[in-house]
Amino acid sequence: MTVTLRPPSSVRRSAWVKNPKLKPFLPYVVCLPIFLAIWQVISAILGQDRLPGPINVVANTWMPYIVEPFFDNGGTSKGLGLQILISLQRVAIGYLLAACTGILVGGVLGMSKFLGKGLDPVIQVLRTVPPLAWFPISLMVFQDANTSAIFVIFITAIWPIIINTAVGINQIPDDYNNVARVLKLSKKDYILNILIPSTVPYVFAGLRIAVGLAWLAIVAAEMLKADGGIGYFIWDAYNAGGDGSSSQIILAIFYVGLVGLSLDRLVAWVGRLVSPVSR
Amino acid sequence: MSVFLAVDHVHQVFDLPGGGQYIALKDVSLNIRPGEFISLIGHSGCGKSTLLNLIAGLAQPSSGGIILEGRQVTEPGPDRMVVFQNYSLLPWRTVRQNIALAVDSVLHDRNRTERRTIIEETIDLVGLRAAADKYPHEISGGMKQRVAIARGLAIRPKLLLLDEPFGALDALTRGNLQEQLMRICQEAGVTAVMVTHDVDEALLLSDRVVMLTNGPAAQIGQILEVDFPRPRQRLEMMETPHYYDLRNELINFLQQQRRAKRRAKAAAPAPAVAASQQKTVRLGFLPGNDCAPLAIAQELGLFQDLGLSVELQSFLTWEALEDSIRLGQLEGALMMAAQPLAMTMGLGGHRPFAIATPLTVSRNGGAIALSRRYLNAGVRSLEDLCQFLAATPQRLRLAIPDPIAMPALLLRYWLASAGLNPEQDVELVGMSPYEMVEALKAGDIDGFAAGEMRIALAVQAGAAYVLATDLDIWAGHPEKVLGLPEAWLQVNPETAIALCSALLKAGELCDDPRQRDRIVEVLQQPQYLGSAAGTVLQRYFDFGLGDEPTQILRFNQFHVDQANYPNPLEGTWLLTQLCRWGLTPLPKNRQELLDRVYRRDIYEAAIAAVGFPLITPSQRGFELFDAVPFDPDSPLRYLEQFEIKAPIQVAPIPLATSA
Repeated sequence: MTVTLRPPSSVRRSAWVKNPKLKPFLPYVVCLPIFLAIWQVISAILGQDRLPGPINVVANTWMPYIVEPFFDNGGTSKGLGLQILISLQRVAIGYLLAACTGILVGGVLGMSKFLGKGLDPVIQVLRTVPPLAWFPISLMVFQDANTSAIFVIFITAIWPIIINTAVGINQIPDDYNNVARVLKLSKKDYILNILIPSTVPYVFAGLRIAVGLAWLAIVAAEMLKADGGIGYFIWDAYNAGGDGSSSQIILAIFYVGLVGLSLDRLVAWVGRLVSPVSR
Repeated sequence: MSVFLAVDHVHQVFDLPGGGQYIALKDVSLNIRPGEFISLIGHSGCGKSTLLNLIAGLAQPSSGGIILEGRQVTEPGPDRMVVFQNYSLLPWRTVRQNIALAVDSVLHDRNRTERRTIIEETIDLVGLRAAADKYPHEISGGMKQRVAIARGLAIRPKLLLLDEPFGALDALTRGNLQEQLMRICQEAGVTAVMVTHDVDEALLLSDRVVMLTNGPAAQIGQILEVDFPRPRQRLEMMETPHYYDLRNELINFLQQQRRAKRRAKAAAPAPAVAASQQKTVRLGFLPGNDCAPLAIAQELGLFQDLGLSVELQSFLTWEALEDSIRLGQLEGALMMAAQPLAMTMGLGGHRPFAIATPLTVSRNGGAIALSRRYLNAGVRSLEDLCQFLAATPQRLRLAIPDPIAMPALLLRYWLASAGLNPEQDVELVGMSPYEMVEALKAGDIDGFAAGEMRIALAVQAGAAYVLATDLDIWAGHPEKVLGLPEAWLQVNPETAIALCSALLKAGELCDDPRQRDRIVEVLQQPQYLGSAAGTVLQRYFDFGLGDEPTQILRFNQFHVDQANYPNPLEGTWLLTQLCRWGLTPLPKNRQELLDRVYRRDIYEAAIAAVGFPLITPSQRGFELFDAVPFDPDSPLRYLEQFEIKAPIQVAPIPLATSA
């Protein structure tokens, strides 16, 4: 990442800049080092104990966290890769439940004007509830941290899916509906040939928002109460308060970000794959 | 005419989000024959597409109905396939799949192979073989439109509805597709209704072009018959002069509508004056039976009930009355039916003065009387009169109240129908109705055409007998109308509505036989008919033929059968007659003229205020006693078929500038 930090000479740099293939990367090459440099400077001012700089982070966590992501010392002492997998597993369950339920409920609300209008206030209120506010009540109901965490994922992720599915159905262009009406398409034909193809892009927009929210929620939920998972790891490192703990936290945060980004891109990619040809 | 699709008194009203309503279509009626190609043309916002959607069943009319082969249309269905404006192809299906979806879903009773064959045939029909497996976004606009048409035709609809199908295409593609559509429709014998704003497209494809007036409250303004034989060739058609006649007619209509739109916009900020509308109104009239509603409304206080103070002024001649109006001494008058048109056009060398008529006050009530000596000569009918005139060198001198008076127009029509030229075979003299009876007695004239009052007086005096009544010529013709200066009406619409309301109520009383005594009592007052009223208003009408007086129903008609409707179609007939006798060229801008003169909006407001049911006459055409059909959409053709007529001219007529 810091390999190209210092270009050897100004002549060669200008040649580099003019290379059309590399030109798109120029902003990254310039800006990221500046960011890291400022971070390092602030770290130097505040002192490494309070805020480790990027170099300290790499140095402090090189062994075992970066090199061996999948070590398992039993209990909750696991490599970051395993922690992330634990979190991802929870997200997968909660998110899939939310996707199935959300699309179904959204479909019903979209197709029935009556239900759609009647339940709109409930949805509008519930969707603004912060994920963690659900945690205590789900702990009371489920009496189990793991199930509760999954439930929080579910309840956080479901709203954008419901809303987008319903909106997608309402937004089916009149033209298509008119075609269906004139041709008197059967309900089955209508759902298969018009409703689903024209709603898919909306549903995936919802799913994409949902996966972001789900990932936000799981980290927070695990920090509160869980055994294992990346959120737990962060909170555990903080409580341990050892030498490298702040570096561990920063590394974990970095991984959380990367995983969130990948999830987002993954859903977007699937969406593109599934979406019908559009204009 | 076998009717395939009937649009029956359709009104379409939309509720506006801010409350209030938008009337998109108002009382649209149209009959479509099987196999006919109809175009709907008009400016944007005139409700063309609304009408198409109603026919498709995609929307329901607020009132009235669409009847397809005797069944009311209540929902969309594949028998009325729509080719939508923006193609409406499903983007996730290929050309073939788009057509297949329609075919498989609509023709599901056929087996698979049959359906495959239909799909492939249709693809070939519109020449899309090479693009059959492409998606809509991969093909051009013209090809998309062909797919949409193919999808429409593949399911074998009874009726094909096309909403501006070629609007978004370049000229070359459009021309090609028009020809393809024409060929396909003709081969398949499809009935089609197409919305368009392209005049040439409408002419090329249609059997009839239906022209809609501007919205809100759009109506059918005119229907143009395009009588070119099929199959048509665009270039051949465009080489004939007739094509340009039709094209001019269409363009003319659209231009008039554009002007009307501009006028409506200019007249819009009127409501500010609503508060200070004039409540004192001076109305002029010529005494006669047909002033009964005016007299009743005045004497029974119907005007007062509505807060109006009306002053009636009686005139001896129509010229005097007209002068008073021009000088601003009157706010309105009971006028001859053709007078608002004549004044607005500025007939007889006058300056055009815009008069609007929101109400027809009376119908019928006139007759043709001859001096008794012709009865002795055996003249008892029109045929007798012809024979008599053929046998003698004498020219009859016949008096008429005014060249544009209804009795005069009917007399001319009646004579001409028997081959008598009213300009040559008889001598027509203008005369105040007051003088007619005396002139007849004195032998200055041989007969006259006038209202019932003069006729009855002459018969009673033993000087005349009745040769024909209006009922023998045109039963139900408009006789007197309420004429109001347009400028005044613009400023005082509420007063005008009140005036009409009072006259509507009075008309109802006048048509009620139980009120007869009361009416006689009112009309006996000297300012109306005086002592003559008793004679005139008897229930039995003496023809002076020595027979018992006979009862004629509806000799004067003030209310029944939507008598009060200000009907622009009748106005068209009046224009043809004014033109036929050389009083005016046939106005090219007649639509504009009729729209300005016949103020149905005021009429309807008054009808609503009185609480009468709003029923408008449904017929477009009508005929007089000689059964020559009058089609208001082709007045020139109507005129051309008459042998006896002045040279016909068609010209745009400068109208009075609007207020």
